[in-house]
Amino acid sequence: MDLLFLAISAIFVNNILLAQYLGNCPFCGVSKKLDTSIGMGVAVIFVVTLASIFTWAAYRYILIPYDMGFMQTLVFILIIAALVQFVEIFLKKQSKTLYNALGIYLPLITTNCAVMGIALLNIKHEFDFINMVVFAFSSAAGFALAIVLFAGLRERLVISPVPQALRGTAIALVTAGIMSLAFLGFRGMVQ
Amino acid sequence: MREIIRLVVVLSLICGVAAAALTGVRYSLEKRIERQSDFYVRGPALERLFNQPAVQLLGNKINFMTSNRVYSVFYTKSGDDVTGLAIEAPGAGGYGGDIILMVAVDLASDQMTGMEIIQHSETPGVGSRVEKVSFRNQWAGLSVSEPVKLRSQGGQIDAISGATYSSKAVVNGTNQIIELMSGHRDEIIAAIKSKGNG
Amino acid sequence: MKFKQVLLHGLWKDLPPFRLVLGLCPALAITSSAEKGLGMGLAATFVLIFSNTFISALRKSIPDKVRIASYIVIIATLVVLVEMSMKAFFFPLSQQLGIYIPLIVVNCIILGRAEAFASRNPVFLSMTDGLSVGIGFTISLTLVGSIREILGAGTWFGMSLFGASFEPFGFMVEAPGAFLCLGLLLGLMNAYSRKRGEMFIQS
Repeated sequence: MDLLFLAISAIFVNNILLAQYLGNCPFCGVSKKLDTSIGMGVAVIFVVTLASIFTWAAYRYILIPYDMGFMQTLVFILIIAALVQFVEIFLKKQSKTLYNALGIYLPLITTNCAVMGIALLNIKHEFDFINMVVFAFSSAAGFALAIVLFAGLRERLVISPVPQALRGTAIALVTAGIMSLAFLGFRGMVQ
Repeated sequence: MREIIRLVVVLSLICGVAAAALTGVRYSLEKRIERQSDFYVRGPALERLFNQPAVQLLGNKINFMTSNRVYSVFYTKSGDDVTGLAIEAPGAGGYGGDIILMVAVDLASDQMTGMEIIQHSETPGVGSRVEKVSFRNQWAGLSVSEPVKLRSQGGQIDAISGATYSSKAVVNGTNQIIELMSGHRDEIIAAIKSKGNG
Repeated sequence: MKFKQVLLHGLWKDLPPFRLVLGLCPALAITSSAEKGLGMGLAATFVLIFSNTFISALRKSIPDKVRIASYIVIIATLVVLVEMSMKAFFFPLSQQLGIYIPLIVVNCIILGRAEAFASRNPVFLSMTDGLSVGIGFTISLTLVGSIREILGAGTWFGMSLFGASFEPFGFMVEAPGAFLCLGLLLGLMNAYSRKRGEMFIQS
């Protein structure tokens, strides 16, 4: 039951994009078409879950026992960068279809703050393993949900009469604001 | 082959220099960071527990190590004698994880003089009410020789209505401190005295 | 001539996060008050100046293949330095900024400048570039922070501005306000550019 609450609160109430503002660069960059945004969403779910497991383990079993908690940031970013490289190579060798679908999004993910952010949040919340996996997966699912919904809106925006000055990123941000207002409504749900 | 060696050498050099620089800076700032976080995170609680400005109390700290964890222990002294302790411990079982709390103990009477919440992530407006004065005041005058319990279990603490989990977590933390005191009271005092002399 | 160009480009032509649409996360997340905006901006500026300097100095000795990895190590080291110094000297601010300080590592502006500028320009110019972009970023964040704080809380750098009768629109300091504020500011800047006849079209 607690895990369900954790998942719902990570997907809707504390949506990583719309309430915690992480991962906005791909949010604005890759959300112009529905199918690319779905690709990005799936890639993020995959990498976030994997990266969370590795960073959590590294923190728990290497950094803390050797009293090197201060190296957290450095170690995490290296793990994430290496992991993304491995996933890319692995997919290329093993599954051509999956690589074609997700491959181009992988390099972008290294500098996606959602991945690093969730890894840091796992530590900050002091989760145990199960909670950590559920939290990471649902946060990433929240990201995917938001980016796919947003891409749907943006496809409509292209054919709408938007004032000249607001075209492009500006109107995208305003739209995201209104979406985030809608997500604020979920706040009453878990408390 | 030479190319690969060069890659590895350059990358390891950069990592080595980076790690060395960080360790150096960490070593020189460690004390200051600990003081700062004591001042801002624990300072207000210490002031209320000991009725003294936090700045005077921050130096009065030892990290007491037992077989399973490290406790932050603050103390007051009059002359050479240790008169009061404030021990920090995590109370397991809160709704949003551990509740970190601090209990002050008067060594002359072996009674608690107060309890303060240092850090919690309970639901605002429900579990967060463990921070209320009316709840915390119940700790004044409790004995450190026997475990505390909620009134529903025949003890002396009134739980906060609607926040039994959070109240229970605070009680758990207190009992951990009581256990520490019963097992290591003299060791803690000895550690403080040896720190004062050295 | 080149120097002046580099010094000024970060202040308008490539002003982050508006003209150079990078580094949006901190611009949205920590701009609920002017003080946080300023603190974040300065921290990022510090990292930018030094990462640009080191990367430019090492640009000939870093093999192309491990380029990005080396940049990440250098940037992460600087970020950890900032993180520790902030904890030691500005503890309350570092608590407020929370995980967004370590997240400077993945701020695309810094890696972006390293790759686009510092990896192919001499040390002094790269340093200037870092300074310029950093100051631009700081000004933008402080501006957004000020607007949101004034409207959303009725204060500026913590000073009360309007007296007790002012009812702040709390939504400005929440997430939706951040997106809206940034979007509208960007729109205003686009309108101004168009009026000046600058060729600037955002896709």
